[in-house]
Amino acid sequence: MGAPVNRMAQSLVMTLLGGAILRVSALSTIYLNYVKPGFRPLLIAAGLVIFALGVLGLVQEWRKPYTPKAQAGTEHESEEKHRHGPRVAWLLCLPVVAIFLITPPALGSFAAERDDTPQPRPSAPEAYGVLARDRPAVMPLGEFIGRAWGDANRSLVDRQVKLTGFAVHSKQKGQWYLTRMQLRCCAADAFPLKVTVLGVPAPRDDTWVEVTGTWVPTPYDQLPKGTVAPEMRATAVAKVKQPDEPYE
Amino acid sequence: MSDRTTLDWTAEPDSPVPPPTWGRRAPEAQVLPWVFVPLVGFLLLGNFLLSPHLTAPALRTWSTIFVAICVQAIPFLVFGVALSAAITAFVPPSFWTRVLPRRPYAAVPVADVAGLVLPGCECASVPVASGLMARGVTPAAALAFLLASPAVNPVVLVATAVAFPGQPLMVVGRFAASLIVAVLVGWIWQLLGRPGRLRIPSRTAREGESRWASFLSAMRHDFLHAGGFLVVGGLTAATLNVVVPRSWLLSVGDIPWLSVLVLAVLAVILSICSEADAFVAASLTAFSPTAKLAFLVVGPMVDLKLIALQAGTFGRAFAVRFVPLTFTVAVLVSVLVGWVLL
Repeated sequence: MGAPVNRMAQSLVMTLLGGAILRVSALSTIYLNYVKPGFRPLLIAAGLVIFALGVLGLVQEWRKPYTPKAQAGTEHESEEKHRHGPRVAWLLCLPVVAIFLITPPALGSFAAERDDTPQPRPSAPEAYGVLARDRPAVMPLGEFIGRAWGDANRSLVDRQVKLTGFAVHSKQKGQWYLTRMQLRCCAADAFPLKVTVLGVPAPRDDTWVEVTGTWVPTPYDQLPKGTVAPEMRATAVAKVKQPDEPYE
Repeated sequence: MSDRTTLDWTAEPDSPVPPPTWGRRAPEAQVLPWVFVPLVGFLLLGNFLLSPHLTAPALRTWSTIFVAICVQAIPFLVFGVALSAAITAFVPPSFWTRVLPRRPYAAVPVADVAGLVLPGCECASVPVASGLMARGVTPAAALAFLLASPAVNPVVLVATAVAFPGQPLMVVGRFAASLIVAVLVGWIWQLLGRPGRLRIPSRTAREGESRWASFLSAMRHDFLHAGGFLVVGGLTAATLNVVVPRSWLLSVGDIPWLSVLVLAVLAVILSICSEADAFVAASLTAFSPTAKLAFLVVGPMVDLKLIALQAGTFGRAFAVRFVPLTFTVAVLVSVLVGWVLL
């Protein structure tokens, strides 16, 4: 895996890693593709610490006086051994390279499709608030699913709603899924929230859209066990920009 | 080394020409700008030129999960490494002999309960445990701390309570099972483990080094070391995450004994931070409460990134014994606790 990491390479790796973390957290909102928004201060602090350690090492190395190898002797060798870091540290370059070269985007249809984890269903019906009658109610996908599955007031009946998500094709004809990934901590634990859309042609996978429509009622107790998405009959689909915070 | 500084020349005013070392920097330092500038240039250019072309969905999903695991773990790793370096640099060894019981079998439960106060996830606990061992704490006690602290600290317990509303027994079960597993594994290691299996990181401050200098160098060394192994774990977890369809695992939810094993294995593969795993467990609605408990108990103690971290920190001979031992004990205890409580 290459030579043992000397002090300069160590510092270089740490500077780059710290820089990469600061780039995704402090200087942009890319970090929202990977973790929850609340993580930002932690990331900035960690990035600063790593960056500072790296720069400190680089400065020390730069100001280190010249020592001819021949006169260094055996004492110098043990010193040298101590200064060499573990080889595995080279691997820390991988996240840096991934962040800069691939700039991994938010999880999309590929992840949503292969993950068929059953969606968490509320254990007891909750009572949601009343929705306005005159204009479409804007709500997150999670809330729509919650209202559809277990709302004692059946507040969704005959109400127009407006939902934002990306498109994922469905195996059945004439329908597609409006999807949003939900995060608990980081993208490794993301799972999809899906709403089946009826009545409009499917946009291309991964297109972000805003769908206006009404819920197609299904009685809660007749839902089969396992993955099932509530249905919605759409009246309008509009393309939108991907939101800054791609997850719910 | 100090007799070779650039100021040397003035010390010998008779010498007609400056000595060859005059004004020269160390060889590494000379290379520095030549490495640094092209590297940063390559990364910035690559950002513009290459990233629009690297768009295969599988690659993107894989890289997102990989970067997410690293990004999410690094703050906790930095915290753990700083704490560990502080333990070795500022806390005298005598402190631990005073606080912990002399006899190892008694020290294990004490260290286990001490896990209550370290708010963090499993990435922080490995460097801290290694720092404790370097300071002369009995390995078995440090291991009990390593296993217990990510699962029983207040942050994780609150997260569990939020994820399982109306099921306080799940929180109690997780707390009890994790403490029991950590004590049992600590005792078994004390009983059967031979010295030499476990590589105890030695960290003695070098002579003439200030406490701050040794703090910084311990922190740098530990971060690079643990960080490298974190990347190994992140790579494996992201790959399995993308390659193994989760539906394979989840189709067996109806068979009781198998479902416990499957969720335990899933916890190992997913490598989810212990502060988030309760929410994932809650979403696995097809499984029995006991299986979910196994997921919550195994996850913070054994997972791919932890295995990589432990193998790197304590040696491979340690990991091949410790990991299966912990996994087995964790599954058995969860079944037992789940049977009694849930």
